[in-house]
Amino acid sequence: MKKYVCKICGYIYDEANEKVKFDDLPDDWKCPLCGAPKSMFQLLEEESENIKEKNIENNPVVEEDMREMTYGELSALCSNLSRGCEKQYLSRESELFKKLSDYYDKKSKEKNEDNYNIDALIDKINNDLETNYKKAREISEKEKDRGALRIITWGEKVTLILKSLLTSYQSKGEDSFKDKKIYVCDICGFIYVGNEVPSICPICKVPSFKILEIGKEVR
Amino acid sequence: MKTQKIRAVRNLRLCSKDCLCLYVCPTGATDTETGQIDFQKCIGCGKCAMACPAGAISMVPYQYPKQQEKSNRVVQRLNTVLKSKVEQEHIAYQLYQNSSSQVEKQFLKAIIRSNRLLAEDTVREAGYMLPQSRNTHEFLKPLLDSKEEDFPKDIVNELLEILECNES
Ligand code: SF4
Ligand code: SF4
Ligand SMILES: [Fe+2]
Repeated sequence: MKKYVCKICGYIYDEANEKVKFDDLPDDWKCPLCGAPKSMFQLLEEESENIKEKNIENNPVVEEDMREMTYGELSALCSNLSRGCEKQYLSRESELFKKLSDYYDKKSKEKNEDNYNIDALIDKINNDLETNYKKAREISEKEKDRGALRIITWGEKVTLILKSLLTSYQSKGEDSFKDKKIYVCDICGFIYVGNEVPSICPICKVPSFKILEIGKEVR
Repeated sequence: MKTQKIRAVRNLRLCSKDCLCLYVCPTGATDTETGQIDFQKCIGCGKCAMACPAGAISMVPYQYPKQQEKSNRVVQRLNTVLKSKVEQEHIAYQLYQNSSSQVEKQFLKAIIRSNRLLAEDTVREAGYMLPQSRNTHEFLKPLLDSKEEDFPKDIVNELLEILECNES
């Protein structure tokens, strides 16, 4: 009897309590808690694997000090501050930061790049998972930066889910969304495809009223 | 000039309207047409927050403590994440513009939203947690020198004027 754990939400598929062996589950079987695909499950072994992973070589930080922020980054900075003000009930300040964010967003959208396709997205996602998040985690652990570690943990999971959705979209096309709704957690960015929204976000644990449906385009 | 350190705010999403805070407030600050608590009248006694059956009122400080210092190394690493998420948002946006399928557009919209949230979280942890921080002010000030014709300087001016700075 084996146990498998969902890398996204931590749900454990324990063969001892299930009728079906994990390997015999159909390929389109999904995590009952967060909707992650079967490929997101990992055999639960006693710690040994994890220790190896912890020892990634000690990458020196590339000096990248005070680079200019792009329009897109400025927009995200301002929309973050807008949300920050909103949380403090500073409505005017929030509105102003939002306007500034929209200004930069517009600027950013004027720029067109040619290499846009799903593969380009997946490449960036892989780079996030294999490099960017890993290095960020390593340094944040050394610096004991709990805030940073929390968003890295959430971010990695959200990114993993996104990767699996994109991969499934590439192979199955629109069938992967057939008769399903699409939601995004407004707190952590978790994308849920399906019809039964989890009662709390499997990643950041907010209640489901913060998990918002993305409407169909009406034109 | 206000001397108290905290004031009451009401979360309108949670408020079930017209009940206990109206009775317990000694100054009538909770009774407003906008639904928000009148901070001019509020003396920060906290009675409303204790009485509210919906947990809709919180007491918030006028002055926030300084935001946590961030190490440069963490900020640098988070900035690489930020950069990547913003680029992904942009790619998804362009795909969205060029897509003619309803379902695909819906999916791309979710990706845009998700990446924006990830970018916001990342930049927040990279030194922009508090709008009242010195970082925020130091980000805003140089924007006034922007050479872009259409840059909305009035917005930045107003922000610098009304937004407190809690680090000298
Ligand atoms: S804190 Fe006191 S004064 Fe302020 S709104 Fe609540 S009850 Fe009224
Ligand atoms: S007591 Fe709470 S629920 Fe009732 S009106 Fe006041 S804020 Fe709303
Ligand atoms: Fe979430």
